[in-house]
Amino acid sequence: MNIIYYLPLILIFVSVIISIKYRNWGYILSAVSSIIFIAFTYRTFDYITYFYLIAGIVWTITSIYSLSYGKNYGKWLAPLFILTIAGMMTILYANNFLVFIAGWEIMSIPAYLTVAINKKNDIEAYVFMFFSEISTVLIMVSAVLSYYYTGTFGFNKINNDYVLLIFTLGAMSKMGLTPFMISEWLPIAHGSAPANSSAIFSATMTLMGVYGITKLALLSPVSEVIGILFIAIGIISVMFGSLYAYISENMKSLGGFSTIENNGTLLSALGLYIAINDGIFRAFVLISILIFAMSHSIAKTGLFLTIGNTGTEYFSGISDNKGLLARMGKFFILSSLSGLFPGIGGLGTWMILESFFMGAFIQGAIGISSIIGGSLLAMGEGFATAAMFKVYYFTDNHSKKNNKNNLETYTIFSTGVMLVFLFSISFLLIGKEYISGIPNVLIFNGFMIESRFGPADFGLLSPIYVVLITLFFTLLAYLVFGKPKTRTVKRWNTGIENNETYNSFTYSSNIRLMLKKILKTNSGKSDLETVDIFWYFMIRIASSYRKLTKYISYKIMNSSISTYMIYMIIAFISIIVIVSLY
Amino acid sequence: MQSFNKKTGRYIGRYKNYDVYSNEIVRISEENKEDINKKLPGEITFNYGPSAGGLEESVNFNIITPGERINSVRVDSSFKRRNIKILNDSVDSALLKVERINGYHSASNSICFLLAVENALNIENGESNNKRIIEIELERIRSNLHVIKCLAESAGFSIPEKQLSYLIEDVSRIISTVFKHRYFFGANYINDVNGNFNNLNESILKIKNEFMVIYQDLLTSKIFMDRLQENGTVRDMNSTGPAARASGYNYDARLDSSSLYYESYKIFTGSSGDVFSRFMVRSDEVFSSIELIENTEIKENESKNKYDLNKSGTGYARIESPQGDLFYHVDIKDGRINDILMVSPSYLNIKLFEKAMPGNIFTDFFFVWESFGIWISEKEVNFI
Repeated sequence: MNIIYYLPLILIFVSVIISIKYRNWGYILSAVSSIIFIAFTYRTFDYITYFYLIAGIVWTITSIYSLSYGKNYGKWLAPLFILTIAGMMTILYANNFLVFIAGWEIMSIPAYLTVAINKKNDIEAYVFMFFSEISTVLIMVSAVLSYYYTGTFGFNKINNDYVLLIFTLGAMSKMGLTPFMISEWLPIAHGSAPANSSAIFSATMTLMGVYGITKLALLSPVSEVIGILFIAIGIISVMFGSLYAYISENMKSLGGFSTIENNGTLLSALGLYIAINDGIFRAFVLISILIFAMSHSIAKTGLFLTIGNTGTEYFSGISDNKGLLARMGKFFILSSLSGLFPGIGGLGTWMILESFFMGAFIQGAIGISSIIGGSLLAMGEGFATAAMFKVYYFTDNHSKKNNKNNLETYTIFSTGVMLVFLFSISFLLIGKEYISGIPNVLIFNGFMIESRFGPADFGLLSPIYVVLITLFFTLLAYLVFGKPKTRTVKRWNTGIENNETYNSFTYSSNIRLMLKKILKTNSGKSDLETVDIFWYFMIRIASSYRKLTKYISYKIMNSSISTYMIYMIIAFISIIVIVSLY
Repeated sequence: MQSFNKKTGRYIGRYKNYDVYSNEIVRISEENKEDINKKLPGEITFNYGPSAGGLEESVNFNIITPGERINSVRVDSSFKRRNIKILNDSVDSALLKVERINGYHSASNSICFLLAVENALNIENGESNNKRIIEIELERIRSNLHVIKCLAESAGFSIPEKQLSYLIEDVSRIISTVFKHRYFFGANYINDVNGNFNNLNESILKIKNEFMVIYQDLLTSKIFMDRLQENGTVRDMNSTGPAARASGYNYDARLDSSSLYYESYKIFTGSSGDVFSRFMVRSDEVFSSIELIENTEIKENESKNKYDLNKSGTGYARIESPQGDLFYHVDIKDGRINDILMVSPSYLNIKLFEKAMPGNIFTDFFFVWESFGIWISEKEVNFI
């Protein structure tokens, strides 16, 4: 292998060292190495390399954003931030489990330190570390199993799904999927991780999990059972992730839950991929996963940058109204995360939903799972749209005048534009077998994406036409009617002076009340507090475990010689019985 | 009565610096300031009124909400405050103003005022007792039908709403036929009621039959029941009228006040204290009022008595108006009103509404508000 191929990896580790002394140069070198990484590793239609493109774009955006944003934090942020990226790059370069695990730890430990150094309490850092190490242990187990079945630590074809299953459990712990949701939102929301770090935790660190699962899924045999299991876990994550995002008042927490929702969609799509055997269909599902992962990662980065740009964590703390560029960028980012056009998220969501609805044509359990999964995913997207609208509206203080633009604003705008750009050129990223046209209606060959699982197409979409038509009518409306004329008038409330406005909390209280049994909404007269039920049950299990151990220590292991004697006699008899049986 | 010291009996309400109990009037040092609930993070104040669609009278609601659910509501009725110049008026002149305080409850106000005057001037409420009962029960039928109509309207039930409006019109026409005025104006005087009670029973029987059909239809509507049940629940010993009886309290001035003499009256009570329970109590009372009218014997006054009103004295009266205890206290000096105190049931009903609303959502608002049959016009009277 050519050493030049590894140049970005060398550069990123060098930039870690440089950033200790020269923060900005570190970030610049990190951005440069990310761009080179894309150039060296990305190959069109080699779908696994799309992960390199996605990760590279996110690292570039966050590194540039950090040039301005990172000023607010101490010297420690830049090296830890870049080292996390270096860990992820190691994962993407890895061609065997050992390097992969090394990269996983290089990625996790600086991330843990970022949370720990910037902590408010100890719990967030411990939670982060605990779930990270669970994931590492499970990935190690899957590596050992892979070695057992294939005789090497390399990524080779395997005849059963155990490696994939255990690896996925490990990745789930990192991705914040059910029942490990806490591992995603808590460190981000309450650990006060800086926005740039939150962006890479949420956008690319979880992407590494998706990457690992995809890599192993490509090497593993078809399994309907595991596929349906992944669909189920994914769907539960989507539903709860989107619900919790909608009701979150902490903006970073909202972003964390949105990631859980997106990762849930990806896992369920991976489940569909693992469960089906049709070559054309499988390939379409795989591309869908990659397009969705691309939209999620880049748009999620934009979401965290938008949140970081507000200078606060809670909607209630918003004091500024950002400029037009920031609002436009935010609009494209959030519409993409809502699964709407003209961002690439619209295409990703369309492709995933098409995959599930096509899956409904397969007979049996997978067909039923597909139609149920697709419907619930669509519902989850609906909640996500509501959550994103909340971010769009309530991250500005509408009574204030616009602020001036700065580097952070330009980065947000560029991220939004990039999502539209990627959507426009998406037909270039998708294999020729899914590209066609209808020249009779002026959609020329090569500009239309077809979803299909057989010779006939199932659904059609032409992203470039969507963008061009939207742009055309927008410009036409602008030319005809000119700049929209708006005026702000003082509210008249039948003579009563009341200047309060609808806020983000009231916006989402409908769901707090409608789903109070699921969300465990405090229905007392104090307020409408909700509980993450997975965290709630985890705490209950931990508390029950502590009670059990306390009971055992008091009742059995209580230093009473007679109790020990009974215990030893029972143990001795048991051993004799077991030995005699064999 | 009139001890101005101890609190005995059940609480009736407040007028200016006086708290009225069924057996006493207690002077309070100053009107208690309304406690303003502190807002929690995320909560906003939503202002509704004082002049807005859906409101029959001018009233402002200061609602604290975290969204959807109402956590606290304060009713500001002061926009409807009216200074009514009545002091130093003669009884005749004062009566004209009292019967116009609230047209819908004109009979109750006029009769209660006259009973207080009669009490002050030692005039016995004799022959007119039963006629007055008929007046008040007719007024109760119309008022309760009005509340039920408003509940149907809140549920968007246009057909029963129109049917009840038609029935209310029928009752008003019966009142107009009997008393020459659909709001009893000019019907009442000292120990005298001006009315022709012939054919009343036949007319009122028709109302009973027609209401029975609407009532049964409403009870069979699951949607209507769902909107009413477990909505706006309140149980408070300081309550009055149908709202009190719907919560299981057997409060009724027809039983525990001697101002009017009811020969036999069977009280209806509920237990749940919700909008549905108040609806049931009011509906039952429509039938019981019709029964009372049918069973009340009318004796025509053989001769019109002439009373000397140019005397002095202090008196009070408490009757069961359609919405609860209505209380009047008058001080007459040489035939002129020297002082007057009036407590409307709307005072307590507003307090009950404020207690019933928290925990309910915005769509329940009108059901809860209408179920108490509050009249701001009665509550915001300031006699000067």
